[in-house]
Amino acid sequence: MFVYEKRLQYPVKIKQTNPKLAQIIISQYGGPDGELGASLRYLSQRFSMPVPELKATLNDIGTEELGHLEMIGAIVYQLTKNLTEEQIKAHGFDSYFVDHTTGVYPASAAGVPFTAAYIQVKGDPITDLHEDMAAEQKARTTYDNILRYCDDPDVIDPIRFLREREIVHYQRFGESLRILTDKLDSKNFYAFNPSFDKKCFEKEKNNRK
Amino acid sequence: MTSREMLLRKISTYAFAIHEYRLFLDTHPKDEAMIAKIAECEEKLKPLKKEYEEKYGPLKMSNENPRKWTWVNDPWPWEGE
Repeated sequence: MFVYEKRLQYPVKIKQTNPKLAQIIISQYGGPDGELGASLRYLSQRFSMPVPELKATLNDIGTEELGHLEMIGAIVYQLTKNLTEEQIKAHGFDSYFVDHTTGVYPASAAGVPFTAAYIQVKGDPITDLHEDMAAEQKARTTYDNILRYCDDPDVIDPIRFLREREIVHYQRFGESLRILTDKLDSKNFYAFNPSFDKKCFEKEKNNRK
Repeated sequence: MTSREMLLRKISTYAFAIHEYRLFLDTHPKDEAMIAKIAECEEKLKPLKKEYEEKYGPLKMSNENPRKWTWVNDPWPWEGE
């Protein structure tokens, strides 16, 4: 289960509204490599993880991603607070405004609504962990691209924090993959699905006896 | 920065350090030095959280004052206030 803590993982306090920037940053809310996809991906993949360390890592990183989703929502909310109709038009925010006013809707920067097609749950931990490592790098690149458009230190600071988290998570998923393959016979790396074909752990079990 | 924000920032710093140690321990569960570091941070975090909740209301619903309901009070974390 989940318990809410009434604080952000890292503070977001933006003084200057900037609807153009909000429209770019919202991609990390509901875009192809965003935090909603990240949290759903890890929290869904954890069910079929076969090794304790992997269950814990997917569970705890997936939970952290929900905190990142909240931070991105806070950034978008604060960047679009108290906008005038003139500002909305002048900054090209009208195409978003017409459908969502200044609500925070999970969509990409190009306006494509969030879809579960952005993520995969393959039920094979080797495959899923490779996807997770790629996902962290894709999110890191997206944050790098967002930073190209940021000149407000109030926005740069939390975005840099989120970018760094992608790198740490990539590291943890890399270790998870290593933990898994260390438990497999080198001959059956890709011959078996370690979640489904339980016999690929038999050698390890026999060693324990 | 208000004194409330300052206190919240201190809380978030220790809470983040603890979170990082925990993620590390998920893939290195036998690292006792890291487990000890969590205890060190918890010790610093506990009085800060207590001070914050006494002054500004609960961080978790379960820490709500038993006689009045202040959980609903503004500001909420995303409001930047």
